[in-house]
Amino acid sequence: MIVVAGTGLVGTHAADQLRRRGHEVRSVSHNTVNEVDPTLTEVVLLAHAGDHMRTARRFLDAGCNVVSVSDNTKDVLALLDLHGDALAAGRTLVVGAACSPGLSGLLVSYLGAKFESFDEVHIAVHGTGGPECARQHHDVLSGTALGWHEDDWLRRPAGSGRELCWFPEPIGSRDCYRGDLADPLLVKHAFPHLARISARTSATRRDRLTARLPMLTPPRAGGDMGALRVEVRGLRNGERAVEVAGAAHPMAQIAGSVAASAAHEIRRQAHFGTPIAPGVLALGDALLPNNDILDDIMQTGIRIQAFYGVQ
Amino acid sequence: MKFIRRALLALSVAGAIAAALRVKGKGAVPPQQGGWRDIASPK
Repeated sequence: MIVVAGTGLVGTHAADQLRRRGHEVRSVSHNTVNEVDPTLTEVVLLAHAGDHMRTARRFLDAGCNVVSVSDNTKDVLALLDLHGDALAAGRTLVVGAACSPGLSGLLVSYLGAKFESFDEVHIAVHGTGGPECARQHHDVLSGTALGWHEDDWLRRPAGSGRELCWFPEPIGSRDCYRGDLADPLLVKHAFPHLARISARTSATRRDRLTARLPMLTPPRAGGDMGALRVEVRGLRNGERAVEVAGAAHPMAQIAGSVAASAAHEIRRQAHFGTPIAPGVLALGDALLPNNDILDDIMQTGIRIQAFYGVQ
Repeated sequence: MKFIRRALLALSVAGAIAAALRVKGKGAVPPQQGGWRDIASPK
């Protein structure tokens, strides 16, 4: 059985996707997840608001595989620290299985295969899933943004570093800024050889001006149209080259599909006797069947697009 | 009165600087060629 913890937009969409694939799914809320019997559960998908670390550790210790959609930097760091627990339990914890992080790591893996070697990844994201995701987006513009630059973590104020990024239609061009995003941490975890990693999020002037204040307007209950853009730079035929890919869909659909596909793949691999290696993994990690997961996401109707025309 | 004059001066200087930056600032050049197309399944 797969347990989906979280009854928001992302959790609901993930549960629907898993049911369509024929899995037995139990949806529980944040408050009732501790009542779940882990002995009857193979995979737990954490898609609720708040920190996932304690719940993830409880289920790992009880012998369950765990998929977390958390994109909070502190929570992601705490989840990465569960590597020892996952190894001891012989189970897999997939961290950041949403859009950014999540689909971003899968696209890095997909685009990276087009190079002899690649050393730069630049990610931009637009839009939010449900209301909790919107609150998280509000907060990421007021912290410290992490980036990886030539073997060191670069710390810059969130909301700085404006860059105009082009997303797939209908989103088009948006001003994007550094933010307190978990993507650099997880991309670095999955691709330790990279020399430069940056992540930006789209924001308006009002977003930046009010980032340090409480949210002035309540987030939209139905979520937003979202988009992701991943740019990978490296060497091909001895020359520098760039590859860009992205997606534009309602953000909750992207995040829910990625989380569901990760959970589905963990269960499928275990069913065929080829379980995924134990430990804490980020999507894109060579230990994961990234192409299978990406293909599965595309089967759910998420259109992955590549930008052609860059040299 | 002196305070109001100073505040107005500060506002007008800030406005002039903002206007200069807005006029002089270079916008990014949109892509002149290419576009997005669906990728094939990676499998």
